[in-house]
Amino acid sequence: MTTPTLKTSRRRALKLGAAAVALPLVHIRTGRAAGKVSIAFWDHWVPSGNAVMQKQVEAWAAKNQVEVQADFITSVGSKNILTIAAEAQARTGHDVQAFPSWEVHNHSDMIEPIDDVMKTLTGQYGGVNQVCEYLAKIKGHWMGVPTSSGTQYKGPCGRISVLKDKAGLDVVAMYPAAPGHTAASDAWTWDALLKAAEACAAANMTFGMGLGQTSDSVDCIGSLFAAYGAELVDKDGNVTVKSDNVRKVLEYGQKLVKVLPADAVSYDDASNNRALISGQSALIWNPPSAWAVAKRDNPKVAEDCWSFPGCAGPAGRFTPYLPYFWGVWSFSQNKTAAKELITFLMQRNNVEARCTEVVGYDVPPFDSMLDFKVWEDVEPPKGTVYNYPIRPFHNAKPHIAALPAPPDIAVQIYNRGTMPTMLAKLKSGSSIDEVIAWASDELEGFTR
Amino acid sequence: MADGTSVPVGVIGAPRRVARKTSSLKRFTQQRSTIAFMLALPLILLVACFVIYPALYAIYLSMLNKKMTAFVGLGNFAFLLKRHTFQLVIFQSCLFAVTAVVMKAFLGFVLAHLMHNIPGKNQKIWRGLLLVPWVIPLALSTLTWWWMFDPSYSAFNWVLNQFGFANVPWLGVGWIARFCTITVNVWYGTPFFMIMYLAALKSVPEQLYEAASIDGANAVQKLFFVTLPMMRNIIAITVLFSLIVTFADFDIVRILTAGGPQDMTHVFATYAFQVGIQSGDIPLGAADSLFMFPILAFAAFFVLRGVTRRTKEIAT
Amino acid sequence: MSATTMGDAAKRAAAHSHKHSLHRQRLWALWGSYIALGVFVVIFLVPPFYTLMTSLKSSAEISAQTGSPWLVRHPTLDNFWYLITYPNFQTYYLNSIMVTIVTVSVSMVISVLAAFSLSRMGFWGSQALATGVFLTYLVPASLLFIPLFQIVGWLGLINNLWCLALLYPTLAVPFCTWIMIGYFSSIPKELDEAALIDGAGYLQMLWKIFIPVAMPGIIAATIFAFTVSWGAFLYPLAYLYTSNQMVLTVGIISDLIRGDVFQWGKIMAACLLASLPPIVIYAFLMDYYVAGLTAGATKG
Repeated sequence: MTTPTLKTSRRRALKLGAAAVALPLVHIRTGRAAGKVSIAFWDHWVPSGNAVMQKQVEAWAAKNQVEVQADFITSVGSKNILTIAAEAQARTGHDVQAFPSWEVHNHSDMIEPIDDVMKTLTGQYGGVNQVCEYLAKIKGHWMGVPTSSGTQYKGPCGRISVLKDKAGLDVVAMYPAAPGHTAASDAWTWDALLKAAEACAAANMTFGMGLGQTSDSVDCIGSLFAAYGAELVDKDGNVTVKSDNVRKVLEYGQKLVKVLPADAVSYDDASNNRALISGQSALIWNPPSAWAVAKRDNPKVAEDCWSFPGCAGPAGRFTPYLPYFWGVWSFSQNKTAAKELITFLMQRNNVEARCTEVVGYDVPPFDSMLDFKVWEDVEPPKGTVYNYPIRPFHNAKPHIAALPAPPDIAVQIYNRGTMPTMLAKLKSGSSIDEVIAWASDELEGFTR
Repeated sequence: MADGTSVPVGVIGAPRRVARKTSSLKRFTQQRSTIAFMLALPLILLVACFVIYPALYAIYLSMLNKKMTAFVGLGNFAFLLKRHTFQLVIFQSCLFAVTAVVMKAFLGFVLAHLMHNIPGKNQKIWRGLLLVPWVIPLALSTLTWWWMFDPSYSAFNWVLNQFGFANVPWLGVGWIARFCTITVNVWYGTPFFMIMYLAALKSVPEQLYEAASIDGANAVQKLFFVTLPMMRNIIAITVLFSLIVTFADFDIVRILTAGGPQDMTHVFATYAFQVGIQSGDIPLGAADSLFMFPILAFAAFFVLRGVTRRTKEIAT
Repeated sequence: MSATTMGDAAKRAAAHSHKHSLHRQRLWALWGSYIALGVFVVIFLVPPFYTLMTSLKSSAEISAQTGSPWLVRHPTLDNFWYLITYPNFQTYYLNSIMVTIVTVSVSMVISVLAAFSLSRMGFWGSQALATGVFLTYLVPASLLFIPLFQIVGWLGLINNLWCLALLYPTLAVPFCTWIMIGYFSSIPKELDEAALIDGAGYLQMLWKIFIPVAMPGIIAATIFAFTVSWGAFLYPLAYLYTSNQMVLTVGIISDLIRGDVFQWGKIMAACLLASLPPIVIYAFLMDYYVAGLTAGATKG
């Protein structure tokens, strides 16, 4: 009785074990069939943004007889960055990845140069801005194509009536929804912002500008530093935090932090949105996603919103800009198809169709595409995002925090939120000298 | 065990039988240990493939430069130790883990005793209610906490406002934020301690208490001379397990504060994530995580040595 | 003690009054325990309560930020209904269930076999292994997930939920093995000697004697493995990125948070729905859990 049952049970156990091992192995991909390409997109916060992308991809796939797998990967919880790291480590995954700002540099040794695509595209549509060049042109080669999907400006979005009533600031007159420079817009400086912020804070409508370590805070404060010409690290990699310009911006910052909300130091990317949507804030620095949610949840606030460029300082006017790039992994099995697909998706009609679908949130990298109708049409109020993309008459430059430091240092300044943290330290009572000392120690650590 | 070759040659009958017996015994033990090894093999393979190998690989990674092109030895570790931010991370990790574990152990102990006091048939519902924090997936319950801590319109601040207090920037000020992360960890982990201790309490023989009562011991004495010694092993193991898990915590800090404000809540895992994944310096991130190992190994060595020694004492 | 100096009657009287006061003391202790437990329950249940309240609110009510956040003014089941009929959420749920079932089975097979071998049979180095298996936890997931990218990629399991069935057991097995070793050690040695004399093999002995006797321990370990694999966050966050492969923890976060827009009502409803299986399991198997730990853990 004993031996047979023992045998069968052992065999069964072995079988079970074998099955358990084999189960996952079934899913191993055994090389790609010719004419197959997979692409990872940024998962758009407007769900229909994914749908229109999918449609365009399918159209291309049908025309070219290529099987395309499109995945949409969220940036929440840095999920997209984790995925990129996973694919780089495992040397397998999508053929095309959507690299957020710094990731092209982080993985440049594993990305295929894409100069040919950029040559075609710039031939068609003209040049791209210097931020894109800074982030994706490495040793003279383009490593990623700046795309519109997920690329955003983060200029101010203010409450028209509140700014007018409490601070006497008529943002619609300053930046009307029509081409042309206005004299009033020249007065839109960081000092003007400070005055307006003081007035609004007195009326309990603080400016929702964060001093946290997430990108909204970093971008906004980064453009403040740029406006004062305050470089923490110069383009050659020298720590230049002990400069007059940095001191100047900190002196300004000392006044600014006094009128920011008490919880500004713990702001994350959602805090400013909440502040605006709940009607407790007069101005935030954010793409129109906050406005769009307000339109759904608090329409009265949405009707009162107006987007416009960043403030000017002694060194110029900078609007925070956060681009995405499409790059082809060097381990990709189908680089030709991948490049063709990218070229196709960056054609003007396709970019415009996607941009329209997402109410103008996406910003195309080519200046020649900044005339899409969508930014004129979006409402309420009509023209609210007309000045969201940089217009030639804004006299503003797109900017990413920590530019022009060498990108491998800049990425750390950006991700560790050094600049907003400096202001946060001011807010919690540190002196300017202490802040500079802290920052220079921190920065030395980045230059290893 | 005697081995077959050493059997004296002179005697024929009985010793041969002995020899056969010993060799069969030897074969038996051999066979037995082969089977034993086969049974343990899945465990060994699992640990070797998905823990030891990647751990060794992590050590290798931690000795590369940022672009992973050159070997820098212990350079990353030396570099990290010199950074003020990292010194802060070490301090905070220890503070976070030690405070949280002590709190959890204490509260768990109290709760287990309270639970043990009430009649068995009523325990079920109370245990069920108290286990809820441990049962909800941590990443999701932390989101709830995060939202309750929200400074502008948080559930907690609303209550404070009702009583006329000002808003507290829960996650905005270093020490308050540290307090919050620890609180969430304690909230999540206490039920586990409670259930482990309850199990231990139930296994203390009732006679021991009766004996102690007859000897005139009061409640405190019973606690110190009966309960605690009987529970020592389980307390040690639970504390060790929790210490390790808490040290390595990623979910709570990542979701609540992501290390902020001003790096004042970063622990090893979240800092490694920021350095390694977000800033693209995988070797430095790996070096950072590896700092956990010696600290924990040190704790584990003492705890486990104590446990083994006590187990032996009980056995003999 | 001093009893020797006392007369018999006096001793009995003292014992009687002692008993009486003991009774009163016990009653006090009982009520005190209930009150203290009540306080703890209220504190512990604050977040789940808030989760429930929020899940019943519409997004307009949440973003209005007026009035008490602890109460619902216009309760709605829309959030729950949305999730139940949302194909992605159904997928996450199903994936979670599948992964958890496989993980728990794999973990239990591995740890029961290993525990039996380590506690009852032994081989060269088995003592060290028995102690050492717990040390697996010294190398946490937050360290391993980066090097594991390579292994997972090599296995072709990036963005494949079955990679979790390989990785989750590393989180559950050491603890389960430890519980099972403790439980098996508490079974008298005479039992297996008797079985061996009867001519039973080891596997048979395990199957016929140890597993039935150790059922409470097995249930306790199973519940632990279930809790771990249901709630794990970092591995799925790192290795899964399309919605058809995601499990609940990471699916909820990446699907219901869009950029800087949080759909709190839905997130909270999803959190409750995701907590349902563990709550049900604990509610039914709680007694076994405690019993299993009692016998298993204390001997370890």
